[in-house]
Amino acid sequence: MAAMELRLPVPRKVVSQGLARGSDKHLVAPGDTITTDTGYMRGHGTYMGDEKLVASVAGAVERVNKLICVKALKTRYNGEVGDIVVGRITEVQQKRWKVETNARLDSVLLLSSMNLPGGELRRRSAEDELAMRDYLQEGDLISAEVQAVFSDGAVSLHTRSLKYGKLGQGVLVQVSPSLVKRQKTHFHDLPCGASVILGNNGFIWIYPTPEQKDEEAGGFVTNLEPVPLHDREVISRLRNCILALVAQKLMLYDTSILYCYEASLPHQIKDILKPEVMQEIVLETRHRLLELEG
Amino acid sequence: MLTSRTFLKRTRAGSVMKVVREHYLREDIACGAAACERCGEGEQPCEPRLEAQPSGAASSLCPAPHYLLPDTNVLLHQIDILEDPVITNVIVLQTVLQEVRKRSAPVYKRIRDVIAKPEKHFYSFTNEHHRQTYIEQEQGETSNDRNDRAIRMAVKWYDEHLKKLNNEETIQVILLTNDRSNKEKAVEEGLTAYTCEEYIKSLIANPDLVDRLASVSDEGKDIESGRIIFSEHLPLSKLQQGIKSGVYLQGTFRANRENYLEATVWVHGDAEENKEIIIQGLKNLNRAVHEDIVAVELLAKDEWVAPSSVVLQDEGQNEDDDENEEEKENILKSSINKNMLRPSGRVVGIIKRNWRPFCGMLSKSHIKEARRHLFTPADRRIPRIRIETRQASTLEGQRIIVAIDGWPRNSRYPNGHFVKNLGTAGDKETETEVLLLEHDVPHQPFSQAVLNFLPKMPWSITEEDMKVREDLRYLCVCSVDPPGCTDIDDALHCRELENGNLEAGVHIADVSHFIRPGNALDQESAKRGTTVYLCEKRIDMVPELLSSNLCSLRSNVDRLAFSCIWEMNHNAEILKTRFTKSVINSKASLTYAEAQMRIDSASMKDNITTSLRGLNKLAKLLKKRRIDNGALTLSSPEVRFHIDSETHDPIDLQTKELKETNSMVEEFMLLANISVAKKIHEEFSEHALLRKHPAPPPSNYDILVKAARSKNLEIKTDSAKALADTLDKAESPDFPYLNTLLRILATRCMMQAVYFCSGMDNDFHHYGLASPIYTHFTSPIRRYADIIVHRLLAVAIGADGTYPELTDKHKLADLCKNLNYRHKMAQYAQRASVAFHTQLFFKNKGVVNEEAYILFVRKNAIVVLIPKYGLEGTVFFEEKDKPKPKLSYNDEVPSLTVEKTTFYVFDKVKVNIVLDASNIQHQKIRMGLLEPKILESGVPNQTTELSTNNEPAKKKTKK
Amino acid sequence: MAGLELLSDEGYRVDGRRAGELRKVRARMGVFAQADGSAYIEQGNTKVLAVVYGPHEMRGSRSKALHDRALVNCQYSMATFSTGERKRRPHGDRKSSEMTLHLKQTFEAAILTQLYPRSQIDIYVQVLQADGGNYCASVNAATLATIDAGIPMRDYVCASSAGFIEDTPLADLNYVEEAAGGPQVALALLPKSDQIALLEMNSRLHEDHLDQVIEAAIKACKDIYTVLDQVVREHVHEVTTLLGE
Repeated sequence: MAAMELRLPVPRKVVSQGLARGSDKHLVAPGDTITTDTGYMRGHGTYMGDEKLVASVAGAVERVNKLICVKALKTRYNGEVGDIVVGRITEVQQKRWKVETNARLDSVLLLSSMNLPGGELRRRSAEDELAMRDYLQEGDLISAEVQAVFSDGAVSLHTRSLKYGKLGQGVLVQVSPSLVKRQKTHFHDLPCGASVILGNNGFIWIYPTPEQKDEEAGGFVTNLEPVPLHDREVISRLRNCILALVAQKLMLYDTSILYCYEASLPHQIKDILKPEVMQEIVLETRHRLLELEG
Repeated sequence: MLTSRTFLKRTRAGSVMKVVREHYLREDIACGAAACERCGEGEQPCEPRLEAQPSGAASSLCPAPHYLLPDTNVLLHQIDILEDPVITNVIVLQTVLQEVRKRSAPVYKRIRDVIAKPEKHFYSFTNEHHRQTYIEQEQGETSNDRNDRAIRMAVKWYDEHLKKLNNEETIQVILLTNDRSNKEKAVEEGLTAYTCEEYIKSLIANPDLVDRLASVSDEGKDIESGRIIFSEHLPLSKLQQGIKSGVYLQGTFRANRENYLEATVWVHGDAEENKEIIIQGLKNLNRAVHEDIVAVELLAKDEWVAPSSVVLQDEGQNEDDDENEEEKENILKSSINKNMLRPSGRVVGIIKRNWRPFCGMLSKSHIKEARRHLFTPADRRIPRIRIETRQASTLEGQRIIVAIDGWPRNSRYPNGHFVKNLGTAGDKETETEVLLLEHDVPHQPFSQAVLNFLPKMPWSITEEDMKVREDLRYLCVCSVDPPGCTDIDDALHCRELENGNLEAGVHIADVSHFIRPGNALDQESAKRGTTVYLCEKRIDMVPELLSSNLCSLRSNVDRLAFSCIWEMNHNAEILKTRFTKSVINSKASLTYAEAQMRIDSASMKDNITTSLRGLNKLAKLLKKRRIDNGALTLSSPEVRFHIDSETHDPIDLQTKELKETNSMVEEFMLLANISVAKKIHEEFSEHALLRKHPAPPPSNYDILVKAARSKNLEIKTDSAKALADTLDKAESPDFPYLNTLLRILATRCMMQAVYFCSGMDNDFHHYGLASPIYTHFTSPIRRYADIIVHRLLAVAIGADGTYPELTDKHKLADLCKNLNYRHKMAQYAQRASVAFHTQLFFKNKGVVNEEAYILFVRKNAIVVLIPKYGLEGTVFFEEKDKPKPKLSYNDEVPSLTVEKTTFYVFDKVKVNIVLDASNIQHQKIRMGLLEPKILESGVPNQTTELSTNNEPAKKKTKK
Repeated sequence: MAGLELLSDEGYRVDGRRAGELRKVRARMGVFAQADGSAYIEQGNTKVLAVVYGPHEMRGSRSKALHDRALVNCQYSMATFSTGERKRRPHGDRKSSEMTLHLKQTFEAAILTQLYPRSQIDIYVQVLQADGGNYCASVNAATLATIDAGIPMRDYVCASSAGFIEDTPLADLNYVEEAAGGPQVALALLPKSDQIALLEMNSRLHEDHLDQVIEAAIKACKDIYTVLDQVVREHVHEVTTLLGE
């Protein structure tokens, strides 16, 4: 008989109380008036009502010179040129793919903004159009970079680098985009034995670190060799660690993930998701990060 | 603080459902004591009701200042005592109130009224929502026990709470409970508890209160002592089960007025068969009292009985005359015709008691110094009640009020207690009071709150009034009423228009201008519903200033009116109808006779007379058309007393005479009512207040048809028209009064006309008037229905605004219910008053011999009508101490043969009339037969009565 | 049997509240990780869960897309176990579709949809326990979920019901009071600007009383707003502290 674990409801702990950092931020909720001074410019998360600048989302007010924005705690992904994203193909159209990237509208990957297999640069022919589904079909995951943002907020992607392309074996974790810290690189080979792509759009890809870099990246042929158990365990642990960090609202970047991974080592992988374990390891991560900064 | 109540409930479909309800407990509920500073500081401060220094009656048990806290049963049974001004400073718990509300609506209303009186210092404490006094029901605890515990909890809380006050003397809280175990537990917990009796007896200064104590004894206590007469009532749960499965039937218990051993139960619901169940015999009646809601079990078919035609009075004094009862019951069973058998049953349980305080008199026990006496209610449908009193000798000969407390299984009579003394019986004031009380007629003087809404005098028509009203003062309007009428609510006019057509107008007093919706005046009028005319007195629906002055359309003064004006051709066909609020100035207030005289007089040519003649001409045409349509002309003997102006005793008695002008006024009133009914129904299809008169079921006519057949006449009853026609033809040359008699009988066959709300019904027909739609518009001074109709019409023509209750059909339906009730009661009261005055009249007259006609034939009596006085009475052929004459009753014809004389309906007889004052409660007019003489039995031994409490004659016709 | 006394002479309602008082409100934001926004609210024994997805690409037929603003798609449902008697509610039960429509109207008025042309916002609401004021609790829950999803709104939308019994307006009716059958008003309000997003009345009420009842409902909405606002601020405060940027 498999043992079953039952949990009884307990009062929730407010984690933030443990953290000494007081919030000196200007927090607003929808409908709150931010300022009646008309000299300011209206940014995201605000609207003008009766000569007043009013918040339309709940979050912190950010001021850049005359521009006032309210940054919501979490939103859909807002594309910016140069962002690294992970996405899933939802549709194959003429000369382009539609990619779900957790944005308000599906992103576009044009046939022309993609390196064809073999990396050759040439004009796309009609044959290429017909063979689009052979390269990427619905459900495939890709990593890509934002090439341009359209006026309606939709994003155009490109994979013109060997770093980008179709993703093979690995695990996808979806988190709020606001939890992914902007960094120089979003591709990390972690010392624990796996790699992560931290998509700016909140899609995180965890995969076994490839042995030969060049061969894997940018390819369209999936490596279907079984991944060793050890690697799978590392990947699973990383996944659960990321979920723990998300649950405790800690920013995701290579160091935080790594520290969390290390903090989780005393626990079994499946136990990481228990609330008290999550709390414990994330707290430990926090402390280590603070020390690092400190 | 929040807790939730969870309980299981059975749904209509029969499945069990778990119900979870929230129950908030609060900290801001005040204790109500004036000396308490901590309470009542909440958001909604409520004024403290309990006095800081309670000044209740001095009690020897508890000399210290104290508040009383009665439990549910004390409140339920001893409300009469609690209402006494002596009892003040009482805390009424919510637990108690809720329980009372569930168990008895009338008591609940009374206690609410008491709480509302500031001088009583009653405070209702919401203990169920108070954080410290709320308790949960424990496992295995019945809800009664829980409530008792909740009450004790509240007492305890009060005790502790009041101790904290900065008073020199702590105020005690005394729990009043009659429940022994509850009291013991309370004492155990250190609380002060007395039974109600103990406490009341301890009130040194007020010994008379003891009499009013309800005699509630534990039923089990004396069960061994007495013989059990009645079978046990089944518990409610069993009854409900039985009713659902159809074993039992639920219905309203109606005791028979003439036979105390018989009753009918009107089964609720729409079932065609077994609508009316007969209950016969003391044991089957099983302690049900008139108007109770009961559950009955049908008897097997071979045990069915026929409604008896015997008249039986409960005369017994002792309780041991059960043998007598059996004998009497046997009388019922004798001579049963198989065809007359009706569904019969027995009462198995009471679903809801409908006890109220009853007027009546004490029949003093023969045993000296006895404290238990029998009380005989004035209403003969109510059984006699045993009460305990020490003031029997003072109460003798007085009209008193008594309330029933209970009816144990071993007691022949219910137990009750004395409530109030009204005055000496036979005294005119007292008797009037009695009949007003018995008929539930509100007759207290108008309260100041009501009078405050009257217009300030001197009153005159203002500019604003004139602006919104049509000025009809130039019209030659006059009123025609009975002599001495001071509340003139209608006036008429008629003139020729330039185009040759006639314009006729009915002008009704604009009462709704003075009585604005929702104020105290309006509420009081709505409650009274109608003005009640007694022989020497008028109980006004609206204060006199309005009824006899401002609203009364007297001559030569400007008055506000609501006018209904028709343009008619000379054939009395309506061409145009118009309604308007107006100002009129009546040119003359005439009596019927004066008006008649003007019309008849050849010499008079003035405006008023011309107007009257026009009206009369139109009225005749209208009447003819109405009768052609099948309207009925019915008759009921109406009496008018000539009252001595000084002694107010009646000196002469005469039946009302109808003149042409009566019918003229009536015709126009009918026309106005019909026109208005059409208009308001057109405008408010869902909430017009209308009046309907349902067609009677054919079986109602049996008696009429049979009676007519005995005189070789045929009465057709398949339609109103046929009935009207055959009635017209039913003449007998040698018997001119026959037609009137038939009409009197026909009247008795009719259904009651009722008010209703158009949205709640779809049968609008008025049978008697043969009109598809009808309402009351023309007498707003004396009928509340007319006020509502005025308001509706005013809204319909845009003369006034609407208000919420007016457009709420459920509220309107409730109002109709009250109005119908009040009208019925007013009628009964009127008849009772006539009966009483008839007695006074005959008291002064001595013995009178008169001609009479037989109206009904019963098994052992005949009911006769004396046309001269419009008086109806019963002649009995049996008497207690005399040998019984041989009686044989034939139901088919119907006829009664006494010895060798046979009586048929409509036979002319001669009777003597004499007032029998031997029983002062039921002073009787005895009628004895003079002609034809019955062999072997002298006059005046066949006697009996017409008692003071007259009855709705209609009831007699039932079967 | 005498009916229930909904408002005692002492001024207490069946559950012990006074006429203008709300039931106890408990709420939480962000109860699901997968949805863009989610919230759970209890108003007395009425318990409602709301989730919001979007704005995202149009699902299903793309032709429904609006070129100048986002489409608000709502779905209201009641759990089979939400009422006293278990009832299977197949989709499209009339009451639910009506509620769905009301929710849609309410939130189209509050969400700044013009910011997201050609996309879609899904609001799914499920009643877990029904004890009166289902619509109102649904609106309040959906408001919190929308705020949680970071979707810009003009203002909160707060809803409350109000009834009218014995000439007294009662705020926030529970099931017993609703079942009594008196007139009932459901009102959704943008509390900062006092704009009414939706007003619904289920039976006849005389116009003389309407103002009073609406006033009571507005007051109740504002009370709800106070509670919701506190929940949102606590949530925002906690998350920002944790993020610690």
